[in-house]
Amino acid sequence: MKIKRTKPSGILSFSDMRRPSGIAIYSVFILLLVCCSVVSVIPAVWTIMTSFKDTQEIYSSFSFFSKNMSWDKAITRITESWQYLDLADSFVNTIVLSLGNLVVRIVVCGFGGYVLSKLKPTGSKLLFTLVVWTMMMPGQIRMVPNYISYLHFPFAFDIGLGVSLLDTYWPMWLSSGADCFAVLLFKNAFDGLSQSYVESAKIDGCTNYGVFFRIMLPLAMPIVIYESINVLSLAWSDFFLPLLVLDKNVVVPLKIYRLQQDPGLQMNTYFMALVFASVPPFLIFVIFQKRILGGVNIGGVKG
Amino acid sequence: MRTSKDRSASLAGTRIGRRTRLRNNIDAWVLMLPMVVILYLLVWRPTVLGVVWSFFNMKAYTPGEFCGFDNYIKVLSHTQFLPTLWNTVQYVLWSLVIGFLPPLFIAIMINEAIHFKRGFLVLIYIPAVIPGIAAMLMWYFMYYPDASGLLNMLLAKLGMEPYTWLNDPNFVIIGIIIYTTWKGFPGAMLLYYAALQGVSSELYEAALIDGASPWKRTWHVTRPAMEGLLLLNLVRQIIGVFQIMEQPLAMTSGGPSGASVSLSYQLYQYGFNSGGKGTGQAMALGVIIFLILIVFTIFYFWLNKKVEDRY
Repeated sequence: MKIKRTKPSGILSFSDMRRPSGIAIYSVFILLLVCCSVVSVIPAVWTIMTSFKDTQEIYSSFSFFSKNMSWDKAITRITESWQYLDLADSFVNTIVLSLGNLVVRIVVCGFGGYVLSKLKPTGSKLLFTLVVWTMMMPGQIRMVPNYISYLHFPFAFDIGLGVSLLDTYWPMWLSSGADCFAVLLFKNAFDGLSQSYVESAKIDGCTNYGVFFRIMLPLAMPIVIYESINVLSLAWSDFFLPLLVLDKNVVVPLKIYRLQQDPGLQMNTYFMALVFASVPPFLIFVIFQKRILGGVNIGGVKG
Repeated sequence: MRTSKDRSASLAGTRIGRRTRLRNNIDAWVLMLPMVVILYLLVWRPTVLGVVWSFFNMKAYTPGEFCGFDNYIKVLSHTQFLPTLWNTVQYVLWSLVIGFLPPLFIAIMINEAIHFKRGFLVLIYIPAVIPGIAAMLMWYFMYYPDASGLLNMLLAKLGMEPYTWLNDPNFVIIGIIIYTTWKGFPGAMLLYYAALQGVSSELYEAALIDGASPWKRTWHVTRPAMEGLLLLNLVRQIIGVFQIMEQPLAMTSGGPSGASVSLSYQLYQYGFNSGGKGTGQAMALGVIIFLILIVFTIFYFWLNKKVEDRY
């Protein structure tokens, strides 16, 4: 095994790597990492494999890989499943939902975080304490009251005036803004930007809004992008709130959840649905891979 | 250098100073208005109402008359309450046993790896990319009790009888936790990995010059650097897993015979699957969960402050 001289000293240093004990430890590490990688990807690979098998094959041969695979067959499986599952509408719905989530998240949490970090108006200290405390409150306590208020929005209960938000995306959109973690994340990011930007822009005659939109928001782009990636991929996995409030305008996660009740559904098509549902978040991951794997220090430790 | 505080202080007495401050305050509150409104409507008001209504007789989703501790008595005296509480504690315990340390070990190993470092990172991150509901159903089928489930295929290859997995009341919680760990460890791993990269290599070199072995370096250099973050994540994991709900909902529907029902899942049943009879109990149970978790929450904040002070 050739070891580069540039290995930064960690638990194993360069000099360890020339001793048999060091090489043994390193080999064990690599072996364990290979095992972990296999465990990480196996469920996904198996799902893809199964989705391309025939139904009889699933119930008869019980093998991991498909025996008779060909391009033509794979393509027919994809098109047939897509037609059967009728996912197009819910894909469009999920995209609409996720974009709405994103706008609300940035407008509500981004603006809020900025004000708490930089403008600090009268009363912001109290507000900040409230935000921190609500952050850790278990959401269960407000699950039912929230549902009741969605029935009579914006009122807490029936006074004869409210509007029902059922079967709209507003409950999800609003919830996307009601995220104290995100507010703190943005606040921390703006805390890292110097106050002198604000001052010099103001001396040059910029208004408070100008400072925010023209200077601070562009400077905070890394955190905005990080948060956007999170919000956009989360919309593809959230099924609980849609389960409570949506009926006809289903989104992909809810559609997948409801497939369990479809008696005519073939096993392989079911697996294909799981594959379809995973494609958008995978695309997001592939495109933003560098940022996702490198960017946790923004969102991580200070949480 | 004068900071903005000094400047506004020196201007505070003048008329212009007061006007700018007012202007600033108005602008700030306008920018913050969406957040305050949404937090009020979706977080603060429902939290208060959740507590208040837990003392009321709910008629489906309409508050009725005050009934004291009736809802609480109904929840606590339900024969399934204690088993459910015990299930929830089991979820937490198993998640600590199975899922707490592996992310750290994997982060350390990736940090040490020279070969395929990036590849390992990408592959190991994949569980976090698969959307939750799809991943739950994948694992539901992996655990499938007949021979078509992946785990039973594996057993068959090893020449063993198929096992019932999630249909076994003694295994179901462990099975759900194995899935949860698989899904959640990449996130924790990345957090630790970022922290490990922040450990100064000079510390390791100094230890090396003092003749410390790899194990000693792990114990005396890596461990102190990671302790704070580990403790924070421990409390965060306890709080998080205590609220487990979607997994039993999607993977087992609480079965077999209630063996995987958690407190939050029970709350969901009271609130949305009881034909409107259990709404009050749902809120009472919410308050009970809140009271149990508040202890951990306070501890978390105390700890967070300590850890942040140290770095």
